[in-house]
Amino acid sequence: MNSYIDVLFWMRQKKWLLIALFYGMAMHHIVTPPPDLNQAAFDALVIISMALILIITEPLPLPAIAMFMLFMQVVLGIDTANNVASSFMNDAVFFIMGSLMLAVAIVSQGLDKRLALAIIRVTGHKTWRIIAGFTAISALLSSFIGEHTVAAMMMPVGLTLVRYAHKDPRKVAGLTAALLFSIAYGATIGSIGTPSGGGRNVIMMNYWAEFGAGSVSYLEWMKYVYPMVLVQIPITVLILLWTFKPEQSNLDSAVRKLVIEVARAGKVKGREWLAIILFVLVFLGWVFLSESFGLGIIALLGVFLYLAFGLVEWSELNRKTNWGVILLFGSAISIGIQMNETGAAQWIAQVIIHNLGQVIDNPAVLQGSVSVLLTGIMSNILSSSATVAVVGPIVLDLGGDQILIGFMTAIASAFGYFTAVAAPACTIIYSSGLVKSKDFLRAGWKMGVLSVVSLLGLSLLWWPLL
Amino acid sequence: MTKKQEKINPQTLKFLTAVSSAEYSKPTLKLGSLIASVFDASLGVVYVGERASEFHGSSVNMTRQNLDNWNIIHPGLEVLEWALKELKALNPDDESLAKIKFNADHVYEEDGRVRVFLPGEDACRIELILREGELVNQLRKEIQLENYDLAIIGGSQDKRHLAHSLIQYLPSSIFVLQKFNPRKKYKLLLLVDDSKATKKSVQWGALIAEKLGWPVRTLTVSKTKRFGAGYQGAADMAKAYFEDKGIEVEQFFLTGDPVRTFVEFAGDNHFVIMGASTLNPVKQFLFGSKPIKTLERSNVPILIVR
Repeated sequence: MNSYIDVLFWMRQKKWLLIALFYGMAMHHIVTPPPDLNQAAFDALVIISMALILIITEPLPLPAIAMFMLFMQVVLGIDTANNVASSFMNDAVFFIMGSLMLAVAIVSQGLDKRLALAIIRVTGHKTWRIIAGFTAISALLSSFIGEHTVAAMMMPVGLTLVRYAHKDPRKVAGLTAALLFSIAYGATIGSIGTPSGGGRNVIMMNYWAEFGAGSVSYLEWMKYVYPMVLVQIPITVLILLWTFKPEQSNLDSAVRKLVIEVARAGKVKGREWLAIILFVLVFLGWVFLSESFGLGIIALLGVFLYLAFGLVEWSELNRKTNWGVILLFGSAISIGIQMNETGAAQWIAQVIIHNLGQVIDNPAVLQGSVSVLLTGIMSNILSSSATVAVVGPIVLDLGGDQILIGFMTAIASAFGYFTAVAAPACTIIYSSGLVKSKDFLRAGWKMGVLSVVSLLGLSLLWWPLL
Repeated sequence: MTKKQEKINPQTLKFLTAVSSAEYSKPTLKLGSLIASVFDASLGVVYVGERASEFHGSSVNMTRQNLDNWNIIHPGLEVLEWALKELKALNPDDESLAKIKFNADHVYEEDGRVRVFLPGEDACRIELILREGELVNQLRKEIQLENYDLAIIGGSQDKRHLAHSLIQYLPSSIFVLQKFNPRKKYKLLLLVDDSKATKKSVQWGALIAEKLGWPVRTLTVSKTKRFGAGYQGAADMAKAYFEDKGIEVEQFFLTGDPVRTFVEFAGDNHFVIMGASTLNPVKQFLFGSKPIKTLERSNVPILIVR
């Protein structure tokens, strides 16, 4: 009797795995590929759609899904084992690995207390100025060190202010939401600003190289995209104040207590200076050397320096780095490359153009709309980086300027304002238990509309001037 | 003979109560504490929180460790801290419980869960556990790990889906506190039929009635006007068991659809005890069972004895 229950329970827990396997087997064995799609391309699409089901529903750990994507390419005869292995590792994966480790190294230095003091000195005690300061600092920092790093450092500062503002955060729910969302949305809008702002930006750069679209340097990326970050900062502040209406207009007492708490950390220590200097060196390397060495290699060099100077222990890096995500992006990029090489990406792009072309005449508008909408919607369900890994090959085959379409896709992948799953910063504030899913919807739709308008303005008014 | 077979030994009973927040879990914790104390059972308090998507799980963990440096504790630990405080208030005479101090730094991870280390916990037999993930899966793992006898769970909005999963998959007896009002005077309603679990439900019912002094009713429902020997025998056995303990029993024999009759009879002032279904698990999964349907349709606290 118990074994029956165990089997039923396993089926309950793994129902999406069973659905994905059933779907995959049915597609491979029963469905005939369309005449203009070869079997390998069809199989690549089957693998990626199965992987999407598994990633969204999580019946398996991420590394298992990564392995599934790799071995299925060989099992279904899409490519040889050696070719799959070589497509698995590239500079984008190095970058994701390096940036996750750098995040651990930076967060472990305790620089968040210095950051808190610096923000308060600039903003003063007024609530709207503190929210503006949180948004701006989160955006500016996340452009360079990644949104998960910024959110991890800013969260204690935000929660400490909330705690000092009122002992029961539910009594100041508006203030709490405004402060936490200023961290999450600030970090998210900033993450598009430079290639190092997020793994998805580097994945797009990798696809540009793979698709022969050319290359974009670190500074060129900033030239194209950074104006949007600067425009979005004040818009985000207004949206948060308008949506959440903080209960207190002045945080005098909370700020004073926060200053006393962070002042205990004393003066900046030599070790902290060294951590900052090393990151500045990594940043300079990204700006000036990435075209020769690659962003990923420089990130790994940075990790090496942190280890060599004893600023972080390998055991800590090993424990806190999400190896599953690294494996998953390696395999997602690998299948993305197969989508291009087998013609699967081109086929989907043609189907989209054929069907939507009858509704939208202008090819540039069609390409832009598809890339932004497809990426924006998927990033709210999946995650921003995974969306770029999956959608990237398709949108680059829509036609038009691949660099501009790629920028639009990378930018739109940061429009995951509606759910807690899209961006790491959103997941982090959600994990505090102080903001609810409906808060993401309340502020998210406004952020979504204004981000699309900002992107439209950027592409129509700024990019033609470059 | 293990403790899960035949006779209940109160000295070795282990109860688990699931809490979600100070706002909603007060009645659940109160009844959990009361039942555990009348049975002299040890009590595990578990908070099951949402698990972050695996994509961002390590970022969330990194943030939590950073929050620890600022003495900001995990929201689930806050609920467990409240639970301990509440248990102390509910048991003011328990000296060993009064001595226990909650320290959010004294937690350790084992077997996929976080356990709060409570100095002296052996004396007062309290455990505080934090888990993350899907509720039924986490409760099942906790019950299997610690071999709990009874899981005490608050009523849920998502009643239909949850009732089915809890009864089908939790390997212990289950007590669901639907619309439980700690101030209300309940009557104990024992549903008696010829199933194997009836005998154990009678034992649980007798212990509860003995300790809480609640009046007892037994209800036997037959689909036809004729009550078979099995039904009659079970009702007689229940009556004799209660009377042997000096507890008065009112017996009711009704005809009709069992689940509808249970639900109508229970109304809103009974505390229902019934045995778990002995149907094949696959049949239960496909067609449901009397306990599943009763839990889905009724609005009173129900103890399903396994």
